[in-house]
Amino acid sequence: MAFTESQWASGPELATCEREPIHAPGTIQPHGFLLALDLPGLSVSRASANVAGWLDGPVAGVLGRPVESVLGEAVAGRLREALADGSIERSPVTLSAARVAAGAGGRAFEVIAHRSGGSVIVELEPTPEDEAELSRRLHPLVRSFLARIEREPTAVAACQAASAEIRRITGVDRVLVYQFGEDWHGRVIAEDRNDVLPSYLGLKFPATDIPEQARALYRANRIRLIPDAGYEPVPILAADRAAAAGPLDLSFSTLRSVSPLHVEYMRNMGTGSSMSISILLDGELWGLISLHNREPHLVPFEVRTACDFLGQVLAIQVGAKLQKAEFDHRIGRQAAINRLLAAMSRADDFVAGLVAEPEDLLAVAEAAGAAIYNDGHCFRVGATPGEAEVDAIVDWLAAENRGNVVATESLAGAMPGADGDAFKDAASGLLAASISQLHRGYLLWFRPEVLRTESWGGDPRKNAPAGDGRIHPRRSFEAWKETVRLKSAPWRPSEVEAASDLGKAILEIVLRRAEERAQLSAELERSNRELEAFSYSVSHDLRAPFRHIIGYAELLREEEEGRLGPESRRYLATIIESAQFAGTLVDNLLAFSRMGRTSIHPVPINMDSLTREVVRELQVEVDASRTIDWRIGELPEVEGDLMMLRLAMTNLISNAIKYTRKVDRAVIEVEGSAQGGEAVFHVRDNGIGFDMRHVDKLFGVFQRLHRMEEFEGTGIGLANVRRIMSRHGGRAWGRGEPNRGATFSIALPKHLPGGKSAENPEAP
Amino acid sequence: MLKPILLVEDNPKDVELSLVALSRSQLANDVVVVRDGVEAMDYLRCAGGFASRPQGNPAVVLLDLKLPRVDGLQVLEQIKGDPDLQAIPVVVLTASREEKDLLRSYKNGVNAYVVKPVSFKAFITAIQELGAFWALLNEPPPGSFRAKR
Repeated sequence: MAFTESQWASGPELATCEREPIHAPGTIQPHGFLLALDLPGLSVSRASANVAGWLDGPVAGVLGRPVESVLGEAVAGRLREALADGSIERSPVTLSAARVAAGAGGRAFEVIAHRSGGSVIVELEPTPEDEAELSRRLHPLVRSFLARIEREPTAVAACQAASAEIRRITGVDRVLVYQFGEDWHGRVIAEDRNDVLPSYLGLKFPATDIPEQARALYRANRIRLIPDAGYEPVPILAADRAAAAGPLDLSFSTLRSVSPLHVEYMRNMGTGSSMSISILLDGELWGLISLHNREPHLVPFEVRTACDFLGQVLAIQVGAKLQKAEFDHRIGRQAAINRLLAAMSRADDFVAGLVAEPEDLLAVAEAAGAAIYNDGHCFRVGATPGEAEVDAIVDWLAAENRGNVVATESLAGAMPGADGDAFKDAASGLLAASISQLHRGYLLWFRPEVLRTESWGGDPRKNAPAGDGRIHPRRSFEAWKETVRLKSAPWRPSEVEAASDLGKAILEIVLRRAEERAQLSAELERSNRELEAFSYSVSHDLRAPFRHIIGYAELLREEEEGRLGPESRRYLATIIESAQFAGTLVDNLLAFSRMGRTSIHPVPINMDSLTREVVRELQVEVDASRTIDWRIGELPEVEGDLMMLRLAMTNLISNAIKYTRKVDRAVIEVEGSAQGGEAVFHVRDNGIGFDMRHVDKLFGVFQRLHRMEEFEGTGIGLANVRRIMSRHGGRAWGRGEPNRGATFSIALPKHLPGGKSAENPEAP
Repeated sequence: MLKPILLVEDNPKDVELSLVALSRSQLANDVVVVRDGVEAMDYLRCAGGFASRPQGNPAVVLLDLKLPRVDGLQVLEQIKGDPDLQAIPVVVLTASREEKDLLRSYKNGVNAYVVKPVSFKAFITAIQELGAFWALLNEPPPGSFRAKR
């Protein structure tokens, strides 16, 4: 007595798909027949019910008989040989030499055998009549394919070439190449077809379309064939004894029956026949080559073998091309980083460098938008969420503290509150690299929701025929859409790495700059101290000899007054005068140095009265024969160091007096106004002026534009003015024209800059 | 007898010029010259080489800042920190216009701070005025002077 091993539950829900025992359905497809042989005796323990159609006797007559009496001595001999030399393993092998006539019609069969538990499963498929011809035809096709696919530039192009080739040798209506993505969602990346079946190129499908057990089978068994979706499943019958040992594991069976769900899927797609070839990379399922024909269509074994070979060649090529693409991609990221590093080294700070090359900044992670968050400031480039959202992301990153790099293609899923429109449009995907160990500093890259970025090149849903079935590409697409909602395209490893590299590089740059700054300020401090010590000793030791020269010369003059001739008296006077000038020079130099070092004591200053006071004081020393026309306007009040500003004004006005000496009627104007955030004062004269070419010299220490005999002075006045202004955060400048007068101007900010210059005297 | 003026100055030329200036000031006070900070303190505390000098504080100390061994600011600090000496008027007579010297001197209770002028005439005038003010016009503080008398 024989009985069927198991039956499909009728009409399972989609969700139960994962639980279906696909690998042991207990039925086969009818395009061949199956025998299970006990080991080691090789007697038939099970047989498919259709044995009778292919062999002489009924099934009952086959069960329990030795293989020799069922398949003949030749096949049995080959089987025993193959078993003995270990060539029959878990995956099916063709016993090519056993392609012998068997059965009533004397038909040739392809004998395919593999081990399953304690049995050898032998599957027999009728060999097509034109087998020899087919073989001859296939050989050159396969050879040319190898050469062709190697030349294809990308993995997708290679898949495209493979689908065309496979359609050529199989003659089916349509060949698709699916690629599995992250989480096993997939898409159709290549297609070759005639007009019989619609295009599915670009179609996306959710992981549930090909559940894990199905994927495991695709991994284990690279070829899957369904010649006729409308087939009647053939039960496998067993003798009682074998039935007790449990259902037969048909995982590696080539005739294995198909899940009714899959059959329904096929019907809904309008395909009467299908075949698939797995594309395995490093043992993992990367994709599938899927063949469809509207009418039932049996791809002969020989052709399937060729297809399997092509699939493996394709897998190797895809692997190589992907690696190359990843490598090229990596190089591209690195190039962008290098350009950014160059820009940062040119710029004053790294942020300026990054924003100067926005395209490279985006290219680092192939992002649509980027932001630099540093020291509480946020700089955004490209398509980014708003500043408030970026702030929220930074808060989240800082609180999470997930290491140097955070990459997520679904910020909505990772960060609470990030599922609103404000985030999803620009920031469904986030890649963040830390750029500071002390405060909140991040580089952020954004990608929009993937549904916004997909380009469809013709919506495949329009072409898909409408079906009533539960499973259908149209529904698959809807399901797929659900799975990618609020998600961006995934970040590639090379992009995450590039982000990390750039973050580290910036961290280094910032650290190095901080170190350089610390070193510089230490050096400045030291040189400041040295200079102070120098000035101190100059003020004591350099002044002393001049005082002594003058002192002793004066004593000499007093002692010898009456005895000296006029020439000697002149010499003595010159000695005293020179020593006095040298002393003044030293004093002025010290004053200038002090101006850079002493602290500023800012007070409100009435510049009007200060200027009039200065004029009054200087007027006393003016040669009585001169007349000066003073024109002093109303001057605004300022804030500053009284002593310093008084010195500045004194220098400017005494210069004006000095350089109008040779003018018949000297006119000296002082005017001022408050404009914007500063007060500006001009001291204008109609004196000898200067050539604008020398304007920069004017403000240097000991720079003179005139001969000593013409105009006395140590040449430090304007240097002092400029230093006083710089200490106040202001400016000093001059305009002039030879013999047409000069105007010297100073500008003071309304408020001293942060009191900084007051506390930290500048380095002279 | 008038109390002497103590001149603390290490540079012999400055000593000579200062003495010339003081001699022209018509002061009757003796001028005691010491050449560094240690000698100055020895004199004031009647120690070392001055152990046998007549008792009494000087009318005024004219103190240079840059001195060998113990500098002027330290001398000033010791004088003003010593209850027996702190009433003595101290005039810093220095080449330094440095703000920090000025500030430290006043912090330590200097009575006057005079920058030695480059010009000899101005120097003479300054010394004369100082001598006149501190040795003649200024009423000496109560203390050792009258008690010793």
